[in-house]
Amino acid sequence: MTSLRELALSTLQLSKDYGDRPAVLPIDLQIPFGQHVALVGHNGSGKTTLLRMVAGLLDPSGGSARIGGHLSGSTPARAALSWLSDTPTFYDDLSLREHLEYVAQLHGVSDSSVRAEELLSRLQLENRGDDIPTTFSRGLRQKAAIAIALVRPFQVLLVDEPFVGLDEAGKQSLLELLDEAAADGRTLIVATHELTFVDRVQRLLALRDGELVYDGSPGDTDVHQLVRAG
Amino acid sequence: MSTVSLNAVSLNSKALRAMRRTRQRHRLGNIEWFDAAYRAYLVGIFGGGSVLWISSSVRDATVSAASAADFAEFAPPILGLLAAFALLVGLRGGAQGGPVALEAADVMHVMLAPVDRRRALLRPALQRVRGAIFTGAIAGAISGQLAGRRLPGSLLAWAGGGALFGASVAMLWVGSALLAHTVLARSSRVPRWSATAIGLTLVAWQSVAVYFAMDSGSTKVAGPADAFGSLALWGWRQHSTDLIATAVGLLAVILGLLLLSRISLEALARRSALVAQLRFAVTMQDLRTVILLRRQLNQERTRRTPWRRLQRITNQKPRTRTRALTRSVFRRGWHGLLRFPATRLARMAALSVAFGVLQATVVRGTTPAVLLSALVAFVIGLEVMEPLSQEVDQPDRTDSFPVDRGELLARHLLAPTIALLPFAIIAGAAAVITLGSIDAIAPAAIFALPNLIAGAAGGVVSIVRDAPDPFSADKQQSFVPPEMAGFGATIRLLWPIVVSAFGCSMVFILRVAVDNDGPLIGAAIRGAVGSLLLAVVVGYWVKVRDRIRRKFRAFMAEGRTQALGAR
Repeated sequence: MTSLRELALSTLQLSKDYGDRPAVLPIDLQIPFGQHVALVGHNGSGKTTLLRMVAGLLDPSGGSARIGGHLSGSTPARAALSWLSDTPTFYDDLSLREHLEYVAQLHGVSDSSVRAEELLSRLQLENRGDDIPTTFSRGLRQKAAIAIALVRPFQVLLVDEPFVGLDEAGKQSLLELLDEAAADGRTLIVATHELTFVDRVQRLLALRDGELVYDGSPGDTDVHQLVRAG
Repeated sequence: MSTVSLNAVSLNSKALRAMRRTRQRHRLGNIEWFDAAYRAYLVGIFGGGSVLWISSSVRDATVSAASAADFAEFAPPILGLLAAFALLVGLRGGAQGGPVALEAADVMHVMLAPVDRRRALLRPALQRVRGAIFTGAIAGAISGQLAGRRLPGSLLAWAGGGALFGASVAMLWVGSALLAHTVLARSSRVPRWSATAIGLTLVAWQSVAVYFAMDSGSTKVAGPADAFGSLALWGWRQHSTDLIATAVGLLAVILGLLLLSRISLEALARRSALVAQLRFAVTMQDLRTVILLRRQLNQERTRRTPWRRLQRITNQKPRTRTRALTRSVFRRGWHGLLRFPATRLARMAALSVAFGVLQATVVRGTTPAVLLSALVAFVIGLEVMEPLSQEVDQPDRTDSFPVDRGELLARHLLAPTIALLPFAIIAGAAAVITLGSIDAIAPAAIFALPNLIAGAAGGVVSIVRDAPDPFSADKQQSFVPPEMAGFGATIRLLWPIVVSAFGCSMVFILRVAVDNDGPLIGAAIRGAVGSLLLAVVVGYWVKVRDRIRRKFRAFMAEGRTQALGAR
């Protein structure tokens, strides 16, 4: 039996409901370190709720989630997990470079400038580094959020709808960055509606109305059928 | 990409402090100091002036020794009731995710980083505590010096006692909120409603203490918050045991701060966006948005299933387009009203009781109660006119309908006005019970509904007045000089409440009849007619407001063109 510490993410009967409306039905998951996972499902299927519970942003109604054996939301779990939200939030008095410096420092990186500049360059943001990201367009905000999520050290990357608002060049840069993270042995869990992305992962999870309806290889199923609402 | 060991926890408080300092410098650098000083000056002038005016309106004659003795007996339990309510509000707010709020970016970047959460939350929590204590102390000091004008003891001592009372109540509120959040709401074994149940129990207990204190013949019952109330009398006499109240408040705050790391990130994330909007709405003096956001903060959601489903519309077509419009809007109104959550209905019922009691108090001779009743009716108006608010909040959709906006909005008044009926019955019953006379039943039955409608009219004015201006795209010029802008903003804030106050003042017709032993039913009919007239005027204003504004702007533009031509 695999020890919890050997698993990047493990959930035990993890569930969430909002009053009398269940958002995520009890889910048991075991994702080993280094695995590249896609999470699909129709709108309202519970993908974001599941990821936010794993990130520690939502209190589960039942069960628990662990990152590397540590309860989600605990300090070691936060050190290991990077969360890229579908709704990026920024300080309205810090430039993008200051955001990168701040977040990196909060994660114990004293000098992040080289990595920050590399990310800015690869996301075509080098000329916007000194601007305030709250003033950016939807696509630029998404790119800024990607840079912030990747500037810090992490072992597990949770990504929610990363391609929304990105132009083709941005999508390509993000795919390259995700591939690099995967090649470095990081665990990636990406919730997406971009079904072409599913071909790049090792494991596919599908949710329908809060229930895990598929957990396996992406090649063994009809993904289009899975993401249809029940 | 660098790696991180799961156990290598980096408590980077230094980075947090450094960045907070940097951000503070940025903020200070962005402040327009002259503007800030001008605002402080205005607050000082108007705030100080208001306090002086209210203070001077209290008669300076000291009460008799007997009255002072009565006061000493009644005041602790009655003022203790305030503390019990503060506790209830704190417990309820804490269970729903209060009282700390962070910026959304702080939730994402700081709270998800491996920093010591208690340390990261300490500053915003202390700011909350500090703000509450300051507000409580100021309110207490003002009230204390007002009391000191009629009671034995110096004004300064009364102000000090009041400040101590206010600060202690504020600490109780914020401390209980922190404890409810970190202990009750975070425990999976304790249901969330238990916080409200505890608060209600203590309020009920304190109310019993008040009841027995007012009944001079009966034995006394000690209330749980008597010590708080007694603290308010320190300007006159000091009981060292009252300091227990301050100690309890302080202890609640300290325990709450010690448990800060247990604060729910879900609650912080939810509140962060709402609190930012709430602050903005308060800055903009947008009372309707303040109420809307308060509802969201309290997680008050509309019902998924309505209390009753409306019958499907028949195929019978209305004879005219106007009737079709009226029917559609009327049905839409009921669809919204029938989804009001139980908590909102309960709140409206409680407000209706307060409205009835206050109006009865006016009839009995307490004139200032009319202002309080106007405020209550105004809030009831904002609550019940939700369908109208929803329409106003969707300007793009509203403007896409092939109907005049005024016609549409005016029709939105129908369903909520009818929905006021049960609340008018509650208010009428409360008024009759307060007056304690069977003779009051018939006048109350006649007067209650029109009176409540007229009082709620201020809410309608507030909602429609804040609707986006369909002419805003046009090049406009303000007709008010900049020096008058602040005054204009104050008038703008007060205008809806003035309308509510005017509606509620119809109760004076009944008071005059009572004072002169005149016919009550006749007075009630006259009052009802006056109230309905006001309601009709407000309804008509809603209907023609856009047209009037359009004409006025055209008139002003024409005047400017002619003036330029003359040059």
